[in-house]
Amino acid sequence: MTAVLALQQINKQFGHGHTAVTALKDANFEVSAGQFVAIIGPSGSGKSTFLTIAAGLQTPTSGQVLLNGTELATQSEKARLAYRFNEIGFILQSSNLIPFLTVTEQLKLVDKMSKRPFQKERAQTLLHELALSEVATAYPNELSGGERQRVAIVRALYNDPSVILADEPTASLDTPRSIDVVNRLAKEAHQHNKAIVMVTHDQRLIGNCDVVYKIEDGVMTKQ
Amino acid sequence: MYLGLKEMRHEKLRYSLLSGVLLLIALVVFMLAGLANGLSNGNREAIDNWQATDVYLNQNTNETLSASQLKLADQKYIKGDQVTPLATLSGTLRTDKNRHKTTISALATSRNSFIMPKVNSGHRINGRNQLLISDSLKAEGYKLGQNVRLGTTKRTVKIVGTYTSSTYMISPTIYTDIATLNRLKDMPVTSGNQQTINGFVTKNGRFSHSSHGSLQHLTMTTFINKLPGYSAEQLTLDTMIYFLFAIALAIIGIFMFVLTLQKQALFGVLKVQGIGTKHILAALLTQSVAMSVIGIVIGLGITVGLAQIMPAGLPFVINWGQFGLYSLALLAAAVIGALLSWRTVANIDPAVAIG
Repeated sequence: MTAVLALQQINKQFGHGHTAVTALKDANFEVSAGQFVAIIGPSGSGKSTFLTIAAGLQTPTSGQVLLNGTELATQSEKARLAYRFNEIGFILQSSNLIPFLTVTEQLKLVDKMSKRPFQKERAQTLLHELALSEVATAYPNELSGGERQRVAIVRALYNDPSVILADEPTASLDTPRSIDVVNRLAKEAHQHNKAIVMVTHDQRLIGNCDVVYKIEDGVMTKQ
Repeated sequence: MYLGLKEMRHEKLRYSLLSGVLLLIALVVFMLAGLANGLSNGNREAIDNWQATDVYLNQNTNETLSASQLKLADQKYIKGDQVTPLATLSGTLRTDKNRHKTTISALATSRNSFIMPKVNSGHRINGRNQLLISDSLKAEGYKLGQNVRLGTTKRTVKIVGTYTSSTYMISPTIYTDIATLNRLKDMPVTSGNQQTINGFVTKNGRFSHSSHGSLQHLTMTTFINKLPGYSAEQLTLDTMIYFLFAIALAIIGIFMFVLTLQKQALFGVLKVQGIGTKHILAALLTQSVAMSVIGIVIGLGITVGLAQIMPAGLPFVINWGQFGLYSLALLAAAVIGALLSWRTVANIDPAVAIG
């Protein structure tokens, strides 16, 4: 199985000289299609740095980020933007939904940006899968926290990306809802053959994960 | 487009308020422009009707018709199509026992001059002491066949015809011949080519000799700009209008900037998802163009409505070409105002949306 997203010997330093802070040290990571991978670590361990580098939002001090075999760091800003749009789905801590668009319109926006007609059936199927058919015309502020994160999952899946990056997707949820969201992520990874990477600090949520990486003080270890 | 319009629909209050501000600016622009046109028209309507290109005055005056004195005989210095003498008197037209009293601009020329207006009722001037009056004076109660006086003199003249209303120096015009006007002015010479006049008007005029007495040539544009108070008036109103364009730009710029600052987190999220600066700016542009179009269209509507109910004394003229130009200027101000947020949008770091 080839890796969809691979990080090789990644180092990331902030600052220079003796004030330099090493956020990631020789980090190696990979995820393949159909895998649900968790990265677990306390706050300040380098999780966010890992995500921003994996998404091409920051360039590493050294090392390579390969998305479908292409090195991200060598791409232009514009190409990375297109990469993020087409190949990476995001689920952020709090919701990454647009407040003035209804659930369906959040998906329509993706099609508008790609200049293609609205994929109505795909939207309906995904919303149905994540039990959101009832709230398809609601605005984000009319949804519960769990619903919002489920919409974010649909939004991330809708564009059919190679990999989904989830940054503490359960941060604002209680335990039963957190478990529900994580179970759904696992199911989507396996069912739709997606590579899903979840960053979390919550030990209880990693039961369904295929691979778990632990990160502490910038050092990543595969469990 | 999609993002910008959806947001406006969701945030109706915020964007209607801003459209309202732009509407008020557009309304003031159009009202000022209408008034400027009205005043301009009031000053020069009669002159525009002449369709002449050149004016000749005495060079020892400050290019002002009423201050210029020439003799009819000076016409020999000028060559041109239809050179015609012009004399003016600003005074009061009144009927017997002052039943009607109106401030008018009296214009005198030769009886068959091209600047003599076409008669709508009555007949052309064909004898001494005859007068043509503007239709607006007829509406005020002056009648054909009536004997009227001009200023404080006891001499009377007879109204023999009317013509389509025109104004000069904000007053309704009356036309007569040179000799009649000179009689009304109590001039010593009231016949022959030694009569006093104020100037000559012609089309495609030029001096016939290199020496041309005390005559000075003015183009019609210069002549109009030198009408007493004309330039100052127009410049004042035009300056106000130009300031309003700057204000519109500032308002849009500031509003869009503040909204952008408020939405930085959202724009960060959009950028993380691969929706870049270009699309965000397009949304801002869509919004400011939409708001200014709404403001301009409603502003135009209100201006046209107000023009219908304005008192007759208020000089107000709608010039659609100019209004279109000013609309475009407001639109341009809105576009530039929105683009001022470009740097802010471009500098939003998508990484802030993570962690």
